[in-house]
Amino acid sequence: MKKKILVIDDDLNIRDYLVSLFTDNGYDAYIAGDVKEGIKEATKIKPDLITLDIEMPGEWGPRFYRQMSQDPELKNIPVIVISGLSGHQYAVVKAVASLTKPFDRDELLAIVKETLN
Amino acid sequence: MGFDMFKKILFATSATEASDHAARVAFYIAASYQSSLSIFHVLGVPTRGYSQVVIDIKTKEEVDVDEDYTAWVKEEVKTYYEKHLDGSFDYTIDVAVGFPAREILRQAKAIKPDLILIGGSTGDEDGSVYKKNSAGSTLQKVAKAAKCPVLVVNRPAASFWGGLSNIVFGTDFSKTSDKAFDFAMKIAKTLDCEMNVFHALDITSLHTGKMLSQDEIEQQIRESLRKIRARYEPRLKELKAYSMDVSEGIPYIEIVKYARDKFADLIVMAHHSKKGASDDSGLGGNVEQVIVRAGCPVISINK
Repeated sequence: MKKKILVIDDDLNIRDYLVSLFTDNGYDAYIAGDVKEGIKEATKIKPDLITLDIEMPGEWGPRFYRQMSQDPELKNIPVIVISGLSGHQYAVVKAVASLTKPFDRDELLAIVKETLN
Repeated sequence: MGFDMFKKILFATSATEASDHAARVAFYIAASYQSSLSIFHVLGVPTRGYSQVVIDIKTKEEVDVDEDYTAWVKEEVKTYYEKHLDGSFDYTIDVAVGFPAREILRQAKAIKPDLILIGGSTGDEDGSVYKKNSAGSTLQKVAKAAKCPVLVVNRPAASFWGGLSNIVFGTDFSKTSDKAFDFAMKIAKTLDCEMNVFHALDITSLHTGKMLSQDEIEQQIRESLRKIRARYEPRLKELKAYSMDVSEGIPYIEIVKYARDKFADLIVMAHHSKKGASDDSGLGGNVEQVIVRAGCPVISINK
């Protein structure tokens, strides 16, 4: 069974790129454009991994992380932060990785592979 | 939304990368609550008393400070923060020469802000012009002596990550803590925040003078929880969500850990809240350690 990855990012281009990248590499990819939608999708699909943007309209990524951490069904899902905001590596202390946009696709895939295996 | 607690903010900045994270908090508050922001920069320290020759903090060169130089530095500060100064709030830029802590406190006395917001050190500890001329860090000195609340963003991790909705209030049950609680409650009510009241039981033998048994520790935890309930819960009920906790250990570590576990956006604590050895003997008290280590901004309230 394919592993499921949820991409949470308000940038349509990034979402499309990540979805193509993940599906081309054998994963099922799902998308959410903000924190609220992210929680809804995560609850519905129970992804194996989440990529999370930090600065988004309305609530920011760390809010998503706080909410998912309080949900027993979501709290153990690994999160990779992908953001262009300075200092993003400090935003989610327990993220498995924090990548700066524009990121290296091979680096991201290697982290995803390592995390999901 | 107007917010009278943050009407006038004094943002003390080195206008370098070291202050960037504090700047993000300052500009967010100013834009969100229509604060008037006084951006204050101490450009250098005099080479000797009352001399106009100063060591510039950015270039570390000796410069003769005159009106032209001051105007140039103001313009540099404005350029540095250009993208944030988008007209969504009022601001002024002032520069001064002298020891940073003293100048910041002097400026605070002059403009009477509702809040002083200050970032971390300039980072370059060995080469810092600020540190070379003063014992202890600027933020510690300001937090200790200011007459108004001081919001410190020391670490990049303590920067703004999307709002203010969850406050940790650390108490030692002193009168100053009650004042800090009033302040925290006012923010929580105005911004509809969750509030988490926390007391850290200091069980270090240095503090207690003896090694406590587990029964004694647990007894003290129960007593502290009863105290929190009696002292704060009636007012906490005015909020949408709150919690009360006590844990034992090294207080500043426990508070920083608790705030991290709660995903707090802000810690509020009293400064000099107890006439104990740690807080009054100079640097290194619990509040100052929390300020330096926290993963979110810390507001320190003086008596």
